[in-house]
Parts: sequence; structure tokens; C-alpha cells
Amino acid sequence: MGDDAFGPTVIDRLAGQISESVALVESVGDATHLLETWRDARLAVIVDAVVSGGVVGSIQRIDGMRGFPSAWRSASTHLVGLAEAIELGEAVGVLPEAMVIYGVEIAGVEPGVGLGPAVEKAVDEVAASIVQLCDGYV
Amino acid sequence: MTTAREISVEYLARVEGEGSMRVKVVDDQIEDVEFSIFEPPRFFEAFLRGRPYSDAPDITARICGICPIAYQMSSVHAMEDAFGVTVGGSLRELRRLIYCGEWIESHVLHVYLLHAPDFLGYESGIHMAADHRQIVERGLRMKKAGNDVVALLGGREIHPINVRVGGFYRAPTKTELQALVPELEWAKDAAIETIKWTSGFTFPEAELDFEFVSVCHPDEYPFNEGNIVSNKGIDIPVSQFNEFFTEEHVERSNALHSRVRGRGAYHVGPLARYAINFDKLTPLAQQSASEAGLESVCNNPFKSIIVRSVETLYAIEEALRIIDEYEEPAEPYMAYTPKEGVGHGATEAPRGMLYHQYRIREDGRIADAQITPPTAQNQLTIESDLRFVLEQHLDLPDPELSWVLEQSIRNYDPCISCATHFLDLTVDRV
Repeated sequence: MGDDAFGPTVIDRLAGQISESVALVESVGDATHLLETWRDARLAVIVDAVVSGGVVGSIQRIDGMRGFPSAWRSASTHLVGLAEAIELGEAVGVLPEAMVIYGVEIAGVEPGVGLGPAVEKAVDEVAASIVQLCDGYV
Repeated sequence: MTTAREISVEYLARVEGEGSMRVKVVDDQIEDVEFSIFEPPRFFEAFLRGRPYSDAPDITARICGICPIAYQMSSVHAMEDAFGVTVGGSLRELRRLIYCGEWIESHVLHVYLLHAPDFLGYESGIHMAADHRQIVERGLRMKKAGNDVVALLGGREIHPINVRVGGFYRAPTKTELQALVPELEWAKDAAIETIKWTSGFTFPEAELDFEFVSVCHPDEYPFNEGNIVSNKGIDIPVSQFNEFFTEEHVERSNALHSRVRGRGAYHVGPLARYAINFDKLTPLAQQSASEAGLESVCNNPFKSIIVRSVETLYAIEEALRIIDEYEEPAEPYMAYTPKEGVGHGATEAPRGMLYHQYRIREDGRIADAQITPPTAQNQLTIESDLRFVLEQHLDLPDPELSWVLEQSIRNYDPCISCATHFLDLTVDRV
């Protein structure tokens, strides 16, 4: 992976830093399985790489309960993306009490090259922010 | 006086410019229907050239997020054909099992979230969920049962990484497989309910004369192995695919159009598998189909949603059988020696037969690849169906006409159907 390893890298960084009551889940494309993880949760934090024309490494934090940025919607030909999963979760009533989404602008996605420096820097910032955020819930 | 109505359909709102549909109507007669689709596999044929043979399953798995197993299975069978190796015993069963998982997740996604809303008058599965929460939750839980099978055997549910030429990188333990059983048992009952539910929909009248084409094995409903068989006389080994089927470039489209040589359009997918292999379904799946009003052949493409539901039940039953009889293999893959040659593989993706051919160089690298996906094979048939639907519904206003055209295309679960309202219909009247 290249910069698209951002999400899994944040999960790796959080392991050991965060309360054991927080479940760390890696989603690999089909967002419908997130619905089960959201059911009965107080807070869901979603971390993903985005390509929306912003500065590489820039971090956007949004309230997932207040709509999904159109620029972040995926163009998958056959999968339920995060935006659709949130809408579906709302329709079937399994959304958590609160949802925070971190999107980090990425550039290269060539296999095997790892994170670029700007995205690597964002990993630490987002991980620290999530630890602080979760401390308010546990 | 001649009057002309031109219907131009640009579709795939989220992948704009990749396909279109154009209809020309003169004096209330359809003069021409042109339909073309996005075909990502074409790029992958080029990606594969020069890569090691062992890369094929992982690279081709990336072609489709919902049917990566089909691409992996067709590629490994083609490689094994080239190397003269046959995978049997528990490893062969595990390959059927992972395919069961893919059919379950893909069919359920299509039935519940993509196709049922067409029949029930909803814009999308999300809109349908607001009024049919329990039904949609049932579908999501069934889909998860399929995802879990793929995740266990494939390492993860999307773009799995555990499939290799000769078998798997790691074989599951019997205990790991047994853990899947309770949810699959639940899903079996849910699948029966799904068949009942879909059979209660209202279906447009359509009895069409298809040439159905499917992989056909003498002893089992097809996933990975068998001859290529049609209901109009074809019965050939997979290696003869290109002798009986051809892909032609059509000037108006950048897509290749598949046809039976000397005949024309053919139909792959659940209706074809069902018609050619009905006698290989389990007694429960046959009985459920019968109770849903299906005979052993179904020529109404709109009823593919019922057939897909029947195949879901079959896949769940087959998964339970394989798990029950599973013996852990001594090694997770068969030993083999790569060699120069040509190999062919045809397996049954959820949406139809998927053919792969590879020419392998002496150094084990891929010299040439041919990937013929089911959606491309169905293209002419979809076009023919659209002509039929247009003839039946030409008097409808454009929004309703667009709706039934989308529904017709979704009968085939093509790799464009998840974009809700992927048809943006415009009409020019002269």
C-alpha cells in the first residue's frame, strides 16, 4: 500500500494506547459490516484516506451524524460505501450515539511504497486526537 | 409523415462517460438500440502481461469488489490447466466453500439492496429500509454470513489474499469452520423466507428465447469445474471457449460484444445455471423453487431475483455440507512445477460464467491474458431485452420508462447496477 495505508496505520498506532473498551476494527471495503460494530455503540470513530483535491496530509474532522461530504463519496461499481452505510444505518436504526470521521488527504497509492511524509505526520496527529476523544467516553 | 424519437441514456452517474444507451424510434418502431458498458477487466489484461503467474489471483481479484473469488478461481484453474495440476480432496472442497460465501454475499446484496427496490417502488435499498427495516436487516445478516465464509477462507472478505495456485496459503481448521455453522443454519431458514418474499413480487410478462450458457459438471451444481454447455447444443471443454464464442469490436462502442459464433447473443448467470443444472440443486432448493412458482427452466429475466434467491439457499446448504464433511488437508496447497504453456479456466461468478486464458512463458511470467467477464458476455442479451422492454412500454413517460429499463438491466446484476438511478434518460423528439 501507499498513502492508502493511512487507516490501518492509525489502528496500529492506537493499539496499546487506547482503552481496552474501545474496539479497533479494520474495514476493507464493504462498509455494511460496520453496521454491526455501530449497533449499541456510544461513539464510532472512522478514519479513512480521501482524495478530494485538498493538500496532501491535511486532516478534516467532521461530525458523521450531520451528513457525509459529497467529495468523499466513493465511486465503487458494486460496493456499499461509507456514506451509504451511514444512510442505511440510520434507516435501520443502528447508528451509534455519536460519530466522528477523520479524513486525511492522500496522494500516492502505489503498492509497497508506504506512507509519504505528510501522511505519516497526520497519523500521529489523528491517533492523539482519537485517544483524547475516546477518553471522554470511557 | 415519419416521426422520430431518439432516447439517449447516459448512465453510471458515479462513473460518468463510461457507458451509454441510445435508442432510435421511427414511427413508433424501434429502429436501433445501442448499449455499451464499462469494462474494467480490459485494463487488467494489460496489467498482467510480464507479471509472474502467481500474481494473477491477487491482481484479478481487484477487478471486482463483490466477486473477487470468481476472478481468483478462474485464474488459478487456468494456471493449473497450463501446469497440468489437478486440485482435489479437501482443497477442492474449500474452493467450493469460498465460492459459496461469495455467492451468498453477492446474491443477497443484489436481491435485497439493489433489485428488490425496483419491484417495490423504492428509489434505493436505503429508502426501502425505512419502510421494511426487518427485511433489510435480514438481508444484511444473511450477507454477513457469506462475508464470514469469505473472510475465514480468504483472509478478508474484500480482495481476499489467501488463494493461490494449487490451493490456499493457509487451510482453516475444522474448529474454525464449525464456528460458521450456527449463522449459516440461521441463514438457511432466512433464504427460504427470501424465496417466498421475492416470489410475491409483481413481474412484467416476458418469456424470452435465450441461449443459456453455463459451466456444467456431471455431479454438482457448478462453481469451478465442468464443460461449457448451452441449451442449444454446445457441450465443450473450457479450452474450446474461443472456438465457439467470439468477442467482436463494434464501431459505435469501445466495448467488445460476445456472441456465439454463427448465432448471436447468449445469456450467462443465474437463469442459465438454473436451466442447465436444475437437477443438481439440493432437494430443498428444488422444492423451494417449485413452491415459488418456478419450473426447471425460467425464461423471464425479471424472475432472476427468485432464481438468485434459490441459488443463495443452495450455496448455504452446500456450505453446510462441506463444513460437515471437512477433513483438514495435510498441506494447504498441491505441489506443482510451473512450465511454459497455455491454460484455460471458466468458473461461475455470481453474475455468470467468467473465462480466463493465460499464456505462460518459460520463466513463469504471463505473456498474454484474456479475461471475458460475464457482464460483457451478457451485453448483447441485455441489449435485446431492452429492445423487448421498449417495445412493451414505449408509451410510458420517460421517468417510468427509465425505471423499467434500469430494472431490466439489473436483471443481470451487471457491474454497474449498484449505482442507484444509473440511467439518466433523455429523449429527443424530432
